[in-house]
Amino acid sequence: MSSILVYLATSGGSVKRSSLEVLSHAKKEADSAGLSLNTVIVDDSAADFVDVAKKHGAQKVYTISNSLFENHLNTPLIAALEQAVKESGARVLAMPSMEATKDILGALAAKLDSGVLPDVAEFSVTDSGVDGVRPVMAAKVHQKVRSTADLVLVSVRSGSYDVDENETDAEVSNLTFDFDEANLKATLKEIVSSSGEGVDLSEAPVVVAGGRGVKDEEGKQMIEELASLFNGAVGASRAVTESGLFPATTQIGQTGKVVSPQLYFAVGISGAIQHIAGMSNSKTIVAINKDPDAPIFEYATYGLVGDLYKILTMLIEEVKKAKS
Amino acid sequence: MKFSVCIKQVPDVTAPIQIKDGQLTQDTNRLVLDAYSASAVEESLVLTEKHGGDVEVVSVGPDKVKETIRKALAMGAGSAVHIQTETEESFDSATYAKVLAAYYKDAGYDVIAVGKQSQDSDAGLTGSMLAAHLDLPYATNAVGLEYDADAKKLTVTRQGDSGQEIIELPVPCLVSCSNDMNDPRIPSLKGIMKSKKKPVDVKSLSDLGLDESELKSAMKTEVLGYEELPEREPGEKFDGEPEEQVLKLIEKFKNEAGVL
Repeated sequence: MSSILVYLATSGGSVKRSSLEVLSHAKKEADSAGLSLNTVIVDDSAADFVDVAKKHGAQKVYTISNSLFENHLNTPLIAALEQAVKESGARVLAMPSMEATKDILGALAAKLDSGVLPDVAEFSVTDSGVDGVRPVMAAKVHQKVRSTADLVLVSVRSGSYDVDENETDAEVSNLTFDFDEANLKATLKEIVSSSGEGVDLSEAPVVVAGGRGVKDEEGKQMIEELASLFNGAVGASRAVTESGLFPATTQIGQTGKVVSPQLYFAVGISGAIQHIAGMSNSKTIVAINKDPDAPIFEYATYGLVGDLYKILTMLIEEVKKAKS
Repeated sequence: MKFSVCIKQVPDVTAPIQIKDGQLTQDTNRLVLDAYSASAVEESLVLTEKHGGDVEVVSVGPDKVKETIRKALAMGAGSAVHIQTETEESFDSATYAKVLAAYYKDAGYDVIAVGKQSQDSDAGLTGSMLAAHLDLPYATNAVGLEYDADAKKLTVTRQGDSGQEIIELPVPCLVSCSNDMNDPRIPSLKGIMKSKKKPVDVKSLSDLGLDESELKSAMKTEVLGYEELPEREPGEKFDGEPEEQVLKLIEKFKNEAGVL
């Protein structure tokens, strides 16, 4: 039987939530199209994540374990996914859209001579291929796309779907990674993590993001304190990562990370369309801005108008009270 | 060293956009050099100014693409290749990658630089597709480049998922550039004057052994149309003193949003 294969990306010892979002939606698509649903895990200890795949509806789990996957490198990941696609005979390979998959999607499609729909907000599997919807033109409009190739790759923006549980008794197939390290022409020298990054920004249930209105270290510390009260992560708009106040890895938006937390605080962020593109899938959005006409209020569930320093000071105090 | 930079002409995404009968229209009709392409040109200029060498720009598209090629030449690139198509319509990423691969097969270069995505489609595919066709080592989403002329190695700082990854690539290689890498220079008047005398090698698809109608019929993806973004339910904007607003928010968190 033909199948949908989902690549479950892992990070820091767990399967990324965005991977499970893709798997949960792929389960529905597989059921309605009469396809089997398989997953592939590529990690230095891939077997650790088999149970997670089983919990979310996978009928077959391919694992590819190798120490090369301890850190992201494009060449081995491409080889692993190429191997998994061939092994599984999939007609659709779906994966979460993240920096690691953006790095390999085009090359993988070229090697497999497949169709490819990148960074979709929605996808459906039809008899003849895959239809998708993706934001384009600085995320101002949605583009409807289709590929009817024999094999279609699709990457899905985080927060596009909910995570469902569907316990299965999946068959596990451990593939021997077939890769010649002589092909590894690129060398990873170093990974510079952003300072104080406790919670993975793209996966955090709560994100507190600062923008141009946050003028100094004092404002930044209040953002960090509010984030830590919610066990959340700190984000930023491009203006303050460029100025150096916030590390580059915290940038949210079209050219940064796409986040979709349960709760998003936009603090001193005016709401340029490029920023909105990275956070508009958030469930509850709180905007704090002194300009009552800032575009961010059009997206906010709750808008607070005023001096962010005063508001944050009180908010931190009240949240502490409510939590104690 | 020789940098060859693939540049793209895109509609001005900052101008208003309308959707008519499922198709995009813009009153301005303004076409510009894609911002990510501009960052790739800028970084190539910076590195060749430091280490010596040439910057060539390459673009695929109809006659009107010339205007954008001139912009890159005015920034300082030394020469250009215009792979001219007959159709005004866009191809998909895979087709652009095929056309570029056909050109680079017989071209000399040390580094191919591209934008990490383009402002109009944000697909981010063409760079790594091209690298795969040419079997080149590559890195995407570069925020910093350094070149070691003795070792013939390019060190790329790329923004990864959990931090910046520093990757060393032997040349020849391909790198896709983020717009966070630099602020592309604005062409000077002198640069604009000079650009008019710089060589632009115009090639047709058949010069590269390709057939436009065959390329189009082999495309694996199609754009069906465009639609407005789904509307978000309108929220509430509070007013009053900061304290009042904060208390209202806490109340909403507890009773409505369920986050406290």
